[in-house]
Amino acid sequence: MTLTHCLLLASFLFCVGVYGLLTRRQAVAVLLSLELMMNAANLAFASFAHFKGGPGQVFVIFALAITVAEVAIGLALVMLLYRRYDDTALDRASEAKG
Amino acid sequence: MNHLLAWIVAAPAIAAAVLLVLPDSARLPIRLVSLIGALASFAGSVVVAVDYDRVAGGMQMAEEWSLVPSLGISLKLAVDGWGVPLLLLTGVIIVTGVLASWGVTKRGKEFYLLLLVLVSGVFGVFVSQDLFVFFLFYEIAVLPMYLLIGIWGASHEVPQRGPFGFAWKRFAVGGKEYAAMKLTLMLLVCSAAILVAMFLLWKEAGGKSFDLAHLEATRFSLATQNWAFPLLWLGFGTLAGVFPFHTWSPDGHASAPTAVSMLHAGVLMKLGAFGVMRVGMVLCPDAAASWAWLVGGVAVVNVLYGALCAASQTDLKYIIAYSSVSHMGVVMLGAATLTTTGWNGAVYQMFAHGIMTGLFFALVGLVYERAHTRAIAKMGGFGHVMPAVACFFTLACLSSLGLPGTAGFVAEFLVFLGAAEGAHSWWAVPAVIGAVVTAVYVLRACKTIFWGPPPTGEFAHLTDARSTEWVAPIVLGAALILFGFWPRFLLDFIDVASSTFLARIAPFS
Amino acid sequence: MSTLQSWAALAVLAPLAAALLCVVLPPLRKAGKPAAALCLLSSLVSAGSALYLLTQHETGSVSRTTIPWIVFGGKAIASIGVHVDATSVVMLVVVTMVALCVQIFSTAYMHDEKPSSYGRYFTLHALFLFSMNTLVVAPNLMQLFAGWELVGLTSYLLIGFWFQKPSAAKASVKAFWMTKLADMGFVFALLVLFVATRGFEWSARLSTETATLVTALLFLAVVGKSAQFPLHVWLPDAMEGPTPVSALLHAATMVAAGVFLIVRADPLFAQAPATRDVMLWIGSGTALFAACLALVQTDIKKVLAYSTCSQLGYMVAALGAGSAFAGFFHLGTHAFFKALLFLGAGSVIHAVHSNELADMGGLRKKMPWTALTFGLGALSLAGVPGLAGFFSKDHVLSELEGRAGWIPWALLMLTSFLTAFYMGRVLIKAFGGAPSAKAHHAHESGGAMLLPLFVLAVPAVGAGFFGGKLAEWSGAEYHLHLGLTPIVASCLALGGIFAALAVFGRGKTAPFTSVLEGLDRASAVDRTWAGLYRHVLLGVSAVMGFIDRYVVDGLMNAIGYSTIESGASVRRLQTGRIHDYAMAVVVGALLIVLWGVLR
Repeated sequence: MTLTHCLLLASFLFCVGVYGLLTRRQAVAVLLSLELMMNAANLAFASFAHFKGGPGQVFVIFALAITVAEVAIGLALVMLLYRRYDDTALDRASEAKG
Repeated sequence: MNHLLAWIVAAPAIAAAVLLVLPDSARLPIRLVSLIGALASFAGSVVVAVDYDRVAGGMQMAEEWSLVPSLGISLKLAVDGWGVPLLLLTGVIIVTGVLASWGVTKRGKEFYLLLLVLVSGVFGVFVSQDLFVFFLFYEIAVLPMYLLIGIWGASHEVPQRGPFGFAWKRFAVGGKEYAAMKLTLMLLVCSAAILVAMFLLWKEAGGKSFDLAHLEATRFSLATQNWAFPLLWLGFGTLAGVFPFHTWSPDGHASAPTAVSMLHAGVLMKLGAFGVMRVGMVLCPDAAASWAWLVGGVAVVNVLYGALCAASQTDLKYIIAYSSVSHMGVVMLGAATLTTTGWNGAVYQMFAHGIMTGLFFALVGLVYERAHTRAIAKMGGFGHVMPAVACFFTLACLSSLGLPGTAGFVAEFLVFLGAAEGAHSWWAVPAVIGAVVTAVYVLRACKTIFWGPPPTGEFAHLTDARSTEWVAPIVLGAALILFGFWPRFLLDFIDVASSTFLARIAPFS
Repeated sequence: MSTLQSWAALAVLAPLAAALLCVVLPPLRKAGKPAAALCLLSSLVSAGSALYLLTQHETGSVSRTTIPWIVFGGKAIASIGVHVDATSVVMLVVVTMVALCVQIFSTAYMHDEKPSSYGRYFTLHALFLFSMNTLVVAPNLMQLFAGWELVGLTSYLLIGFWFQKPSAAKASVKAFWMTKLADMGFVFALLVLFVATRGFEWSARLSTETATLVTALLFLAVVGKSAQFPLHVWLPDAMEGPTPVSALLHAATMVAAGVFLIVRADPLFAQAPATRDVMLWIGSGTALFAACLALVQTDIKKVLAYSTCSQLGYMVAALGAGSAFAGFFHLGTHAFFKALLFLGAGSVIHAVHSNELADMGGLRKKMPWTALTFGLGALSLAGVPGLAGFFSKDHVLSELEGRAGWIPWALLMLTSFLTAFYMGRVLIKAFGGAPSAKAHHAHESGGAMLLPLFVLAVPAVGAGFFGGKLAEWSGAEYHLHLGLTPIVASCLALGGIFAALAVFGRGKTAPFTSVLEGLDRASAVDRTWAGLYRHVLLGVSAVMGFIDRYVVDGLMNAIGYSTIESGASVRRLQTGRIHDYAMAVVVGALLIVLWGVLR
């Protein structure tokens, strides 16, 4: 297992996340996709730290901590969204339309 | 008195500050405070005119406060030979303007407040000797106009027509909001041009001082001048109604309330011409000489085109507004001749036109208040019911067409002379023809409104001028005749400045 | 300032003072009679000083005082002042005397006006006298121009005195516009003169080209002011004004200002023979043309108006022939007899309340004194030997002998016959025959109207004998000799009168009347000007107005519109859907990566 394999896995995860982000309409699924992208980045950090050295793993810890907060806020938003529209489909929430 | 110029500039602003603490309901005190502020400035201007040494010339009564030393900005005030007549003009117009709008009922306090702030700015421009402060005052003078027209203005309809008729879908052309917005946007875009030119000059002069005397002492490179002068010409020139950027003016003047029209056409347009001459031509003499053909050519277009447009109007205020476009063309023509005669004529025309158009708008306001129409076709025979208004209107018409014995003649004739002896003699030809076209449209308007059988129906009981309304016609009318019969009252001031400034250009043209 | 110059200044300033007082004191003006008294007093002072100047005048004396009016850098660009010489003194006497007579006449003629109108009328008269005197004593062309424009203004205001009449309003602006159009020539002449000499002196030495240009431009102004073809069309319309005004402004003095200008600027015109040739033709042509039209007018004032055009043509032709004296002499005599004729016509109109010749008739019995004085004026105008008009007209004709192949001479001779003929017609129609319905109740005018008639009748008869003195002062040759011209002219004048008696005395119409009436009705020149005004000037201005509103301003609107529109179209990019934004982020990121790879 080399760095290349790890990075390929990370980019695969990231692409899956992006695909999910762009195609899923449900807010929860979008959040999940976001998590996937985050974790792809985390994986890349960890891989570089493992193979090349450096303080990358610290960032992973940071990112995990932030993810917790982010998920909390994200889920709260989903709750609000559901209360307002009786649905969690993001298409409904288009008040920012110009 | 010390700091006389500062007091002249500050007096209207102080009066405006006092207005802030007065209650809305205090009708008379509001008007009295405004009048006192205006009168104080006017009295100060008269003292300046008396005290100014016409033989010595140059900058006098200088006073200075440093504002931003690191950039070289200071509040430096002084008056020169051009400043004196323009101060007098501003003083006369604001006093008569305040009296002419005695009857404003809607939001009276705010109206007077904005008017006074605006006038402070105008006085400031005419006496500031620091380019940055000059610009600052210029903006103070221009911006209140947006509110004054937008709130107190009058709307009228313009039928949707022509190749650009699609624009009507987006805004109500002819509305007061439209007029206010057009005026403000056009002037602001041009302010941007002025700002660029200003910094261009400031940087080349060392980036240490905005002092006009310092900038005048710098001989700018030809490249800088060739950039700065057109920017300044268009920037200031738009306020002077230079073709084709004059179109804010007819709508603006037609929509504005009486006192605002008086101030705007009477004084503010002169700020533009003054800026072109005082900043553009004096700081960029070489470029002024090499661009003169364009400035003068466009001015000639202004004179003739403005007069012809005025001849086609049916709305009284539009006639006067277009006549301003035409007459400001005379000012710019005089400036473009780059001769002493032409410059003296240009500054004299600023004064004469200011007085004349102030008189026009005061009278138009008076007629409109009574007849509630501005369509001249509906009027007729008003001379029977308002003889004094008819007399003064005729007087303004005569000055407008340049009849000897009125101030307009001296101004126009000097400009024609300057054009004839300048580098492009042919300019005089369309300019003189413009004066004849002026005779056609002003006298036709005069005939349609005031002559003919006595009015019947709704117009039968119109009244002549009353109480405060008398002041504007009498003062302005007397000024037109006085300065027409004895031009040396002003020319002695103007000439001493023109020759000094022109000495910078003459060797290079 | 010498005594003489002070008197001249007084003649100018007295009417100004009266006019100013009436203007700044509205109660005085509105009281009517006091204002009239003040203005009459000022005219009296003016006339008195002019007469005093005349008695003090010595041959060849010229003096002037000027004060700098427009000063640049210590040098006077233009000055104002008084210039006293034979021309200005004689002209001053003519103007002030006629003005005084006309004003006295007016006190009775305008009696029915409201007091405020009465006061306004006399204020305008005082203003006119000031303007005209300013013009007459002008020391340079600049001041002459100022006076020139001011008399134009007073003419405008006096033609439109009865401004409630639409026809008067129309006539007054027409007069102003036509003369203003011509005055462009004066302005250009001043500009050219200033550029060439840095001054406005009429004695300047110029190159032939410049002199021709300046004089041609000046002559353009004269054509307008002195109602020469083709700018004469305003004068007949100007008869809408009160008759005394027509007498003073549109017959005796103001319209003669053009001729006076040429007399004044004679040194300039002497340098431009080409201009003089044009003057010769225009003058003689106008004389004949206007005389033809005078023959078919039914309005007594219009006959006199065309007659004025015609007589001014004589003066212009004389000046074109190079004789300033002949033109000036005829100006002086014409001023008296034409003022007399107009005032006589005013007296008649006052009595019958109509301008139409058809409403008169038989007035010689009802108004004997008016008939007598009018008759003397008419005979003087016709050029009956011994009367003033004969001497001056004869001198004009003698000066034309042999010029341009005798054609102008012949034209003016023919005009002489026609003049006598149409004046005979007026005399017969107004005073001869049986009274018409309206003329039955006519009665002789009062003293205030008859006195000026008598006073004016004296110079109208006798001013010719002053010719020798005037010639001496002007340095011109003048002696009456029994040659071809005086004999032919006398015969034609008398022949014209007898012809009129033979034709109109028997109630017939003259030959060619229908042709001339057709010419009058067609009024081709008038229509051309009206068409130029209506279709060319107003047409162009309408096009310009449209262009300004819908093209120039339209372009500004289009800029504003496109700003708003482009904002509106960009706005649609904000769909509000998170997926679109996310997609944009991803595409953007990919593009950046792509850019990084390809670079």
